[in-house]
Amino acid sequence: MPLAAESSAVYIHNTAPGFILTPGRAPTSVTVHPVALFSILDHYLRRTDAQERVIGTLLGTRSDNGEVEVRSSFAVLHSETEEQVAVDMDYLKTMYELHHKVNPREVIVGWYSTGSNLNTYSALIHNFYSQETAPHQAIHLALNTGTVEGEQAGVKAFIGSPVGVLPKPENCVFVPIQCELRFNDVERSGLDLLTTTSTSPNSTNPHPTTDLELLERSLLSVAGMLDRVLSYVQSVLSGEVKGDPALGRYLMDTLGSSTEDLEKGGFNASLQDTLMVSYLASLVRSQAEVSARLALVTA
Amino acid sequence: MAAATSMAAALAASLPAPVAAPTPAAPTYEAIPASMSKAIDIEAEISLTCVQLDGMVVTKIIKHSREAHGPAAHGLVLGLDLDGTLEVSNSFPLPSDEDDKSPKGVARFQAAMLRSLKEVQADDSVVGFYQAMTLGSFFNQTLVDTQAIHQEKLRHGGIVIVHDMSQTARGNASFRAFRLTKAFLDAYKRNNFSTASLISHRLTFSSILEEIPLKIRTNALLSAFLGTLTESAPLSGPDVNPSSATSSTTLPPSFATLNLGTSSVSRNLEHIIEALDNYKTEEGNLAYLQRQIAREKARADTYVSKRKEENAARVAQGLAPLPEEDVNRLFKIPPEPSRLESVLLLGKIDAYAKSLAETSSTGLVKMHAAKANPGV
Repeated sequence: MPLAAESSAVYIHNTAPGFILTPGRAPTSVTVHPVALFSILDHYLRRTDAQERVIGTLLGTRSDNGEVEVRSSFAVLHSETEEQVAVDMDYLKTMYELHHKVNPREVIVGWYSTGSNLNTYSALIHNFYSQETAPHQAIHLALNTGTVEGEQAGVKAFIGSPVGVLPKPENCVFVPIQCELRFNDVERSGLDLLTTTSTSPNSTNPHPTTDLELLERSLLSVAGMLDRVLSYVQSVLSGEVKGDPALGRYLMDTLGSSTEDLEKGGFNASLQDTLMVSYLASLVRSQAEVSARLALVTA
Repeated sequence: MAAATSMAAALAASLPAPVAAPTPAAPTYEAIPASMSKAIDIEAEISLTCVQLDGMVVTKIIKHSREAHGPAAHGLVLGLDLDGTLEVSNSFPLPSDEDDKSPKGVARFQAAMLRSLKEVQADDSVVGFYQAMTLGSFFNQTLVDTQAIHQEKLRHGGIVIVHDMSQTARGNASFRAFRLTKAFLDAYKRNNFSTASLISHRLTFSSILEEIPLKIRTNALLSAFLGTLTESAPLSGPDVNPSSATSSTTLPPSFATLNLGTSSVSRNLEHIIEALDNYKTEEGNLAYLQRQIAREKARADTYVSKRKEENAARVAQGLAPLPEEDVNRLFKIPPEPSRLESVLLLGKIDAYAKSLAETSSTGLVKMHAAKANPGV
């Protein structure tokens, strides 16, 4: 069902400044922060029955080398019917201003939708967002939630490109670009926490875990890996499996590191330091406790 | 929506878990009259036993804390209470104080954000706030003040979720939920933190806040998605060929916890020393004020006893006694100083020391683990 240019979609105009070649480099790759992904998933869960897909705005930063970093996202109201598609522009403006206040560095870089079907409406919405992000090109993130049978969950990133004799907003080729998950190392532990939670029964996880428990978990997994390597090496030695030279070199590099520094008295000095710090910590704590109790004593 | 119906809406919305499957043919609810809304809100009667943090909130808080660089990061958490469990399903950061100091601006921001979230069917009832901290110390005056305000306004008194950034950087994402104790709140309401009040309320730094158990939850969709991300995770078991045991490319396993991690110790020690210095200054101030009070009191007492002697003499001579009640006008005895600050500082010192103890204890284990390597 073709859309007339005079569509009643209020906020989507026929002028297509986003399709005109823009200054700066076109986005070549997209990195997505987990927060943006999780917000999209949450938005998808909270959709109404009538909504087949949800759309929203992506916020992030652009770098000169054509890399777009998506750092957060927020939901936007929209409605799709047979005849028209409408995006609540006031809502978008309000939300963007609110987000901008907290984090001024993040600007609109594009939009997301769930599901992987790209249709005429996608082109129209993309055209609309191109105006928002002008003079830069808008990116589109299609997140498949994997709820439809036979479809793999995943994220794809696209940029729009005009097609046809006359550039029309509803004519658009979505060109896939590279997309990867990116987060700061500091945030890694948060993701680890969530992955352990998602695999635990009931999807809940009592919290907080102590450092020692976590350490134990890591040590166990390292021990498991060592066992695996050991059994592999043994099977190579016994001639069951043909050894892979690349693997052998890698193992030598990894396991060949020496602990000589530790042996040369460094260990004892370091141990004494650690013990001292530990002793100091408990001393301070007990002093604080005593002091708090003494404050409650009257003469 | 009118205030009267909002409770009903909250009830209606709380029937299915906020993140569960779509409601099967949502029943319609009549508007509940304002007079009944109290009686019908049974959830408010059940006291909180547990806080459940959604996966999205976890990442949101971590991201905000990291970007805001330091303990300035704070925001509101939204959610619903159901059967004693407070389900925190969303959060948003508040603008930091530097940009906008006026409480009015923050209130406007908050209202606009809540309205916007409601439009996309997100939870819009504030249940508390979150605060980032470093090295385990989160006691400060603003936190206590904010929480005290919340405690009166919000259902269940609201909670505060603290997120330890330094521990998260060490590889153990840490979230804890707290609320103010009744004793502290009572003292706070009277605005009385004199020694006598502290004694009668049995207040030390450890009894200002009580911890509520916290659980992390990922909804089914998020679990499934994370499952896909980590799909090709290393195969376990010793008999797998290492060359075939590929690890996930999107989320490679990390062993950040195995770092000896002694880098933060010196900073931790500095923090302790700083807190101790502050505490000492505060104690000095308190002692000074105490001495002043004692001096004034002594002067007033001598005046009173002198007047009494005089009066006794006058009575003996058959004269009318002089009035005694102008003592309070003559001597201004300063009010007893508030000890809240010093209590909070002690709490800070304790928290720093605790995190130091934890770091050193795991450090000890790691050192011995490294030493046990018989590679000599």
